[in-house]
Amino acid sequence: MIRYLARRLGQSALTVFLTVTAVFVLVRLAPGDPASAYAGPTASPEDLARVRAQLGLDESVLAQYGIFLRGLLHGDAGMSYSFRAPALEVVLGRLPYTVTLAVAAILVTAVVAIPLGVWMARRADTAREIGASVLTVAGQSMPDFWSGVMLLTVFAVLVPVLPASGFTTWAGLVLPAVTVAVLQIALISRLVRREMAAALAAPYLTVARARGVSERALVWRYGMGNSLIPVLTALGTRFAALLNGVVVVEVVFAWPGVGSLVVRALETRDYPLIQATVLVTAALAIAVHLLVDVCYPLLDPRVRLGKAAAA
Amino acid sequence: MATPLLEVEDLQIELVTPTGVVRAVDGVSFTVDRGETVTLIGESGSGKSTTAMGLLRLLPEGVAVLSGSVRFAGVDVVADPAAAARVRGRVAALVPQDPMTALSPVHTIGRQVGEALRLRHPHLGRAEIRERGIALLEQVRIAAPRRRWQAYPHQLSGGMLQRVLIAAALAAEPALLVADEPTSALDVTVQAGVLDLLLELQERTGIGVLMITHDLGVARLVSDRIHVMRAGRFVESGEVEQITERPRHAYTRALLDAVPRLGPGQSTVRAGAPVAAEEGAR
Repeated sequence: MIRYLARRLGQSALTVFLTVTAVFVLVRLAPGDPASAYAGPTASPEDLARVRAQLGLDESVLAQYGIFLRGLLHGDAGMSYSFRAPALEVVLGRLPYTVTLAVAAILVTAVVAIPLGVWMARRADTAREIGASVLTVAGQSMPDFWSGVMLLTVFAVLVPVLPASGFTTWAGLVLPAVTVAVLQIALISRLVRREMAAALAAPYLTVARARGVSERALVWRYGMGNSLIPVLTALGTRFAALLNGVVVVEVVFAWPGVGSLVVRALETRDYPLIQATVLVTAALAIAVHLLVDVCYPLLDPRVRLGKAAAA
Repeated sequence: MATPLLEVEDLQIELVTPTGVVRAVDGVSFTVDRGETVTLIGESGSGKSTTAMGLLRLLPEGVAVLSGSVRFAGVDVVADPAAAARVRGRVAALVPQDPMTALSPVHTIGRQVGEALRLRHPHLGRAEIRERGIALLEQVRIAAPRRRWQAYPHQLSGGMLQRVLIAAALAAEPALLVADEPTSALDVTVQAGVLDLLLELQERTGIGVLMITHDLGVARLVSDRIHVMRAGRFVESGEVEQITERPRHAYTRALLDAVPRLGPGQSTVRAGAPVAAEEGAR
């Protein structure tokens, strides 16, 4: 177990490093000049040259990369051009908002999607189940800027029961979390339905029923107990994706998270901020995946982590 | 006369399939009494397992349509499907066909046997359930039952799992055991052990057994009465000696002749030989 963890942590560090390096190169390949965004539209060519020198952008890409790596070793991802503050601090300042929204959205998803998927599996191919199934396809196809605006219109404008934007009270969390959850519920409930339908048809379920086990225990203990790995994996994957920020929803609801930050960083060609955002979100996403993997042996005794890693 | 443990009258089971309705069981009637073993024998597709699963109401609702009557100690589960839930794990218990898939892979042996015990004795504490469960595992002759109580199904062999399933069935203290081909997924040597165990348990507890098998050797060994089933009907019914020694129906004779025999001057395997040709051979 310890060896497995050490190995996985090493792999994770390498993945984060490669991701950050790829982004470092890619942002510099993209058109646009950070200096002009930094110095403003009226800047003269001399001003721009001075800004470039000040930001270290007059160095070769390789030299810039060297400086960047040296900084990283000291926990410094550079100064954000637009915030004129350490980029890592800017990102970490926004992170609680993103994490709050992601946790709320994934909780809503789990609470709705798991019972919904179980219900669909038990009522498979009945008229009502097909109706629910069509709804989940609709939820999956609905763009989040549209569902977000619709929810805003209904619950913040027509029936003003919830705040429209920002995060000043906990009520402000409801609409963005629900908007994010719509798509996730659609995805996860269909997965739960598929996994549960298979588990409910398994011979051990019939045999347990023959032993007199109640339907509720059959569904939740036996059915869900045997479907947890794919369901937890999917929830973990979705959660990790949400930690990268939900750009559109954050913009619609003026949510001060990482997603809206990254949009701004891209617009202003704020290289250090982009790199710091990618560094933090990639590390978080990988940590979530690692956590899910470590849970596998608890959910299924046939899984042995050491073996899986060696295979 | 006392009420039989199981009384099946004119049971019909129709299965709704994508290609149409199939009558898998077509009007069978039989009884099982305390302490006796009644066997339904037939080839695959004859409807014997469908009968067993149908009378415990374990066929999927909406797929299987039952008519006739099935009374467990007087309680009709065809007229009242909800009654089946009260019968299962109390009056009747099932020993399934394939032990390898019959236990939940993510729960321990102890959890699954213990659950059956708890359903029967809801007032028992955790420690008591454990002690009784381990005693049950001992009863079905599982070595190192204490260690096995903590084990998961994938850590046990097929024969051992079938013993665990018999223990789980016995945990319910049923009056009737429905054994659906309990040995067909096991090695021959292991089969004998499991059958011995069933016979011994029956002798000790006086439990009634409904045995489902395609194996005449098994039927001959354990049965009091045999019903030969083909295409959803009983073609012949009778005491074990009558069926195995003096079969009246051609199909029964064909089944008997399909059993491999040892000995000089005799053909060993006669499976698939035409029924009419068997007359002279006997």
